Amino acid sequence: MTYVLNRLLSLILTLFLISLITFAVTNILPGDVAMMIMGTQSNPEALAGLRQSLGLNDPLLVQYGHWIGGMLTGDWGNSLIFKKPIAELLGQKMMASALIVVMSMTFALAAAVPLGVWAAVHRDKWQDTTASATSLLGVSLPDFFWGIVMILVFARWLGWLPSSGYKDPAVDLLGALRHALLPSLALGLGLMAHLTRMTRSTMTGILGQEFIRVARAKGLSEGTVVWRYGLANAVGPVITVAGLQIGYLFGSIIVMESLFNFTGMGWLTYQALLNRDVPLIQATVFVIAAVVMIVNLIVDLLYLVIDPRIRLG
Amino acid sequence: MRKFLTPKGLIGLVLVALIALVGILAPVLLDPALATKMYMTARLQPPSAAHLLGTDQLGRDLAVRVLMGARTSLEIAVVAVVISVLLGLPLGMISGYAGGGVDNVLMRLVDTLLAFPALLLALTISAVLGPNIQNTTIAIGVAFTPYLARIIRGEALRVAQMPYVEAARAAGTTNLAMLGRHILPNILPVVIVQATISLAFAILAEAGLSFLGLGTQPPAASWGLMIQASRDYLEKAPWTGLVPGAAVALTVLGLNMFGDVLRDVLDPRSK
Amino acid sequence: MTNALVSIDKLRVEFSTDSGTVIGVEDISFAIRPGETVCVVGESGSGKSVTSLSLMRLVEFGGGRITSGVLNFKRPDGSLLNVATADADLMQAIRGNEIGMIFQEPMTSLNPVFTIERQLTDGLRRHKGLSADAARGRALDLLRAVRIPEPERRLGQYPHELSGGMRQRVVIAMAIACEPQLLIADEPTTALDVTIQAEILALINRLKRERGMAVLFITHDMAVVAQMADRVVVMYRGRIVETGTVTEIFENPRQDYTKALLAAVPKLGEMAGTTRPEKMRLIGDDNPATLRAAQTATPRQPQVLLEVRNLTTRFPVKGGVLRRTVAQVHAVEDVSFELNVGETLALVGESGCGKSSCGRSILRLIEPASGQINIGGRDIRALNDHDLRRARADMQMVFQDPFASLNPYMRLREQVSEPLRNFGLATGADLQDRVAQLFDRVRLPREFMTRFPHELSGGQRQRVAIARALAVNPKLIVADEAVSALDVSVQAQVLNLMMDLQADLGLSYLFISHDMAVVERVAHHVGVMYLGRIVEIGPRAAVMENPQHSYTRSLLSAVPVADPRNRRFRDDLSFKPIVSPIHPLGHRPAPSIYTQVAPGHLVLTA
Repeated sequence: MTYVLNRLLSLILTLFLISLITFAVTNILPGDVAMMIMGTQSNPEALAGLRQSLGLNDPLLVQYGHWIGGMLTGDWGNSLIFKKPIAELLGQKMMASALIVVMSMTFALAAAVPLGVWAAVHRDKWQDTTASATSLLGVSLPDFFWGIVMILVFARWLGWLPSSGYKDPAVDLLGALRHALLPSLALGLGLMAHLTRMTRSTMTGILGQEFIRVARAKGLSEGTVVWRYGLANAVGPVITVAGLQIGYLFGSIIVMESLFNFTGMGWLTYQALLNRDVPLIQATVFVIAAVVMIVNLIVDLLYLVIDPRIRLG
Repeated sequence: MRKFLTPKGLIGLVLVALIALVGILAPVLLDPALATKMYMTARLQPPSAAHLLGTDQLGRDLAVRVLMGARTSLEIAVVAVVISVLLGLPLGMISGYAGGGVDNVLMRLVDTLLAFPALLLALTISAVLGPNIQNTTIAIGVAFTPYLARIIRGEALRVAQMPYVEAARAAGTTNLAMLGRHILPNILPVVIVQATISLAFAILAEAGLSFLGLGTQPPAASWGLMIQASRDYLEKAPWTGLVPGAAVALTVLGLNMFGDVLRDVLDPRSK
Repeated sequence: MTNALVSIDKLRVEFSTDSGTVIGVEDISFAIRPGETVCVVGESGSGKSVTSLSLMRLVEFGGGRITSGVLNFKRPDGSLLNVATADADLMQAIRGNEIGMIFQEPMTSLNPVFTIERQLTDGLRRHKGLSADAARGRALDLLRAVRIPEPERRLGQYPHELSGGMRQRVVIAMAIACEPQLLIADEPTTALDVTIQAEILALINRLKRERGMAVLFITHDMAVVAQMADRVVVMYRGRIVETGTVTEIFENPRQDYTKALLAAVPKLGEMAGTTRPEKMRLIGDDNPATLRAAQTATPRQPQVLLEVRNLTTRFPVKGGVLRRTVAQVHAVEDVSFELNVGETLALVGESGCGKSSCGRSILRLIEPASGQINIGGRDIRALNDHDLRRARADMQMVFQDPFASLNPYMRLREQVSEPLRNFGLATGADLQDRVAQLFDRVRLPREFMTRFPHELSGGQRQRVAIARALAVNPKLIVADEAVSALDVSVQAQVLNLMMDLQADLGLSYLFISHDMAVVERVAHHVGVMYLGRIVEIGPRAAVMENPQHSYTRSLLSAVPVADPRNRRFRDDLSFKPIVSPIHPLGHRPAPSIYTQVAPGHLVLTA
């Protein structure tokens, strides 16, 4: 329990650091928020007044204080380009992104774990070569390229799935899944390749351990030895690596959501960056980093449940 | 070294050598103006004798562009990785060797930076500095630094606990000599392997940034930019996307294979 | 041979590696009769494990292949089965059922994520078709049979909650669960402390007697062979050198290799009646002049080199968000001793007793919490960083692992010359000469100077490590388990080298070791450590022949002796388990108070 408490305290410290870094990076932006709101043709006096009221003339530390104070009290300000409260925007978009992140992770794990175990069992044989060639190909193409290929094949040529857009799952579940399928598959491919290699190397290590030999010496079947004794030990490491890939995924969705016009966090971040919507950039960057951190924490706590050595140690 | 004589090792070696050769020689042997020369009558032409790999929407020769783009993409990737090594190596090495409070502070910082997805960090930095080749390079280099620092720190920590380091300390070796003589040579294999693999990631990152318009800017030829430009013409002229896509794939594939074999050869832990 | 349980005939096993086919073992023939213990003994690379793994057909999982030979196993129904050609399904039915096996590493032999109950019962359920309840009941019986306390509680526990000795008992319980006719034990006690080794050996002996099991016991340790074997198979480089009954092998060995192997084994108690260390009488090294070398140093008036007073070293146990210290490991607790010029003080004890920390504290490779360290009259703890670096020229260290104590990317010449360069003691041609002389001193050919560590064997590397330590003409060498990782014949050579160097150079050794028989051979004085304290210290003869502290006694009684007529592990043994040296912050341990039982012989009383 103290471990969980410690991790939570540590998370708060990290979130604070994340906010500092976010604020520091975005405040080097040469763009002028006031000018963006009022346009370049606006009256210099009105501009100066707005700057004053927005607190842009204050020292950076004071500005940071205002910003973090607002974040803590739920006042995240308004987006300049969408003219809407940022908190509201983020809530919707996060839901959309969660859908494709979860779907792509599910695809990736479902394919990578069996493939990786299979490769580890048949190490240095043709099965291993096949698996490693597949995963090498997977990591060797930019995932947006896979996205383009999928749009061509499944949307344009075969016409099975829509090539762009987003549907709210609460309104139209099937439509939402159909729209999320292609971007999730494209994201999942690169992820799968990475997780396959990880599973293979983890399982190779485990299969070389003494307790595997002991299990064989007990006369257990190879199936039991590999899929129960072996895999039970690989679950923890594989989940940890999968958790770390959440960061990679939240980077990739920026490209993928833009490609598929899928209006989630990635798409929103891209719009903010493209239009120099400073309050929105700050909020999205902060939220993405915070989500990555929190997911990693959840994975670590999950590990507690899985691995008895940490659970009681 | 026998590991390089396997099919995987040979393919990796040949691909990397070929791409390096193209990156170095293409701008020397070809007139740079050819890359932007438009054949207005020959837009979106499929591969033919006149244009070996076809032409794009502005009638530019794809074969020339993909060769010239190699230089841009490779230059950005190589310099970005050099930046990340120059930043990450001292950071990781000192953190791992010194341990204690120094390590705690540095690694807390690195862990926090790791919460920002590399692509997001690179995009943000590029947007902040203004997208062009130079800033894209810096952005990718900085975004990769925490990953490299983490790996190097782990390796330095492992090496710092080896008995030969303790023996050297007992033999009166100073901290600076220790880092130079014992720590650095022993973490170098891992650094080289990681740099090779980072190179592959940097190529992908450049492609991603350029694809979003926050990397290399037109009319320069870079692979990511070429893929982006092909987006709207893919159905009519799939080669416009397939040519730069294949270039990226072969380069990254080659680097990954080369890195894998290099790891087998160099990394003492894999033996 | 018809009554044999196992008869192996001309076994040959090959391994395919990157550099072609390698022969694991060839022409292996021997038999195991019901109820007897056959020990296969050999140094590393002798193929002893390959033989036992072949009998289980587990060798295939390590890339090996049985290419010829017959491995006949008499099944309980009386039929003979050639294991070499049996199909995989039949082998699964035999493994763990008719033949049980235990391995070297108790820490990794059990699956860390499954409970003890699951691991004990899955074999029973598979082979005997027991229900979950019946298997659980049987598992409880087994835990009792291997004398594990609180068996009910153990069933629900995970391996990491058990000590190393208890885990090895669980592994044994797993191996005997289906009442096999044959138990294969592959170095089952190598990773264990000596008292736990004694307990496990006694347990195997009792189970063998009670159940009439045959035991195939694989080991590198001749002393264990003498304690356990009915018959012995000596192996060398994949072939059998000699087989015979245990008394034949120990008292009348026929082959030179066996004789050499036995000569290199120190026998606890063989130094009784002497006071000074003595070199090992190695075969082919029987020049009387060199043998006496260690003794020729004339006994002078003892002169103290190293004086340690009330040395205490603690390691912080960190916890919490801010990584604050929440408890302390009391690694070294109020330790005092003296070491004379030209003499050897051995610190002995089991793992975690603080002997290594003590050695490192003296060189201040770890910082002691309190106490005094004087070397040649200089107060080491009072030195600043700069002076400490200089002072370390007087004291050097040799480490246990010959593979990790040399920098893999540096030529040996550079490694041996590094201390000289650090202290600016020699340059240019002079430096090269000094290094060459050091290689001569440790009896390594000079052409090794340009080599890298991976081109050397373990023993050769350890010689390089000694040369490096000698480079700066130290007065004191702390040898931390310096010969423990070496094969016994190599160990003897390195020990003899160390004793020669002591005689020639007047070196003092702080010899840290877990091996009582080796210590008896090399030490002038012995200190026995337990939970960070020296519980007994004195002249070697006094401590080893007249031990006063109960821990010293149990330690000595647990050491296997390389003499089959002095068998010690017939009945169940149980030593007191070692408690944790971790205490909360602010814990103030009592000072160490000693009683002098004889001149220089001190025993901890409180």
